[in-house]
Amino acid sequence: MKAAVGDEIPAWLMESVRPERMRTMAAILRDPNPVHWDRNACDALGFGKRTINQGPLGLSYMVNMLHAWAGAGCITRLYMTFPKVVLDGDRITARGEVTAVREEGGRRYADCRVWLDRGPDDHPLQGTATIRLPD
Amino acid sequence: MASQPRPLPPEAEIRAIVGHRFPGGPYTVAHWENFLLTECTGADILPDGMVHPVVLFHMPILGSRTTIGEMFALGQADSDYSIGIESYDWEMFEPLREAVTYAVGGKVVAADRVTPPQGRVYDRIQFQFEVAQPDGVLAARTTITWHYNRGARS
Repeated sequence: MKAAVGDEIPAWLMESVRPERMRTMAAILRDPNPVHWDRNACDALGFGKRTINQGPLGLSYMVNMLHAWAGAGCITRLYMTFPKVVLDGDRITARGEVTAVREEGGRRYADCRVWLDRGPDDHPLQGTATIRLPD
Repeated sequence: MASQPRPLPPEAEIRAIVGHRFPGGPYTVAHWENFLLTECTGADILPDGMVHPVVLFHMPILGSRTTIGEMFALGQADSDYSIGIESYDWEMFEPLREAVTYAVGGKVVAADRVTPPQGRVYDRIQFQFEVAQPDGVLAARTTITWHYNRGARS
């Protein structure tokens, strides 16, 4: 697989973030925070009647993008920050670009900048990823 | 929300949780769990019993024999609503697979009070978890950094 600095990773689209997936996730995570399943709790916090997506779910959209690009199991490190929340109903696109390509222990790796895109200058999650490139 | 913010916990009590270890224990990701998790991400199930990496949030926590609620309580969170995420750092050395029993451990690695020039005081608490294969090889390490915001939102 070829990769070079500046390459854009093919985007991955979540057409609409669905609240029922947050509820399933909350149950699996044993996450007591009502902001992920109670729209009234979100409304009281000023987010309107829309539940807040779990951080790991937003992060998973970038995992899906990277897997589609370089194959399942390609990620060796993922570092993510969460400047803004993702809400149910949001249309979210995972994006990324290659910032470095290097060789280590006989394997090739790509360092990438990755982020979620909700619109112009609206990037609720931003981070970096290291990818083991397939031969 | 309706509940009042709790008094600011003494900084020494927050610092004292550094080094706290969770009991730890085994964790096996079942097929149903991987299936539901993967469906939540909008992806298809991965090949060869590979577990979707999104498991690296809750598996280390539950495998360490703690819970999100207990982690909130350990840092004396004002409420469930007062936690902010600074970062998640997931290092993946080996793909995780369904039906494999991993050994999981976790501890608090940092806890510091932060008083920003503007905005609320918060305690920055960092947890680190390790997931090892049955042969002892480290499969993953995760670091969770949360902000325990204190006082009312401005």
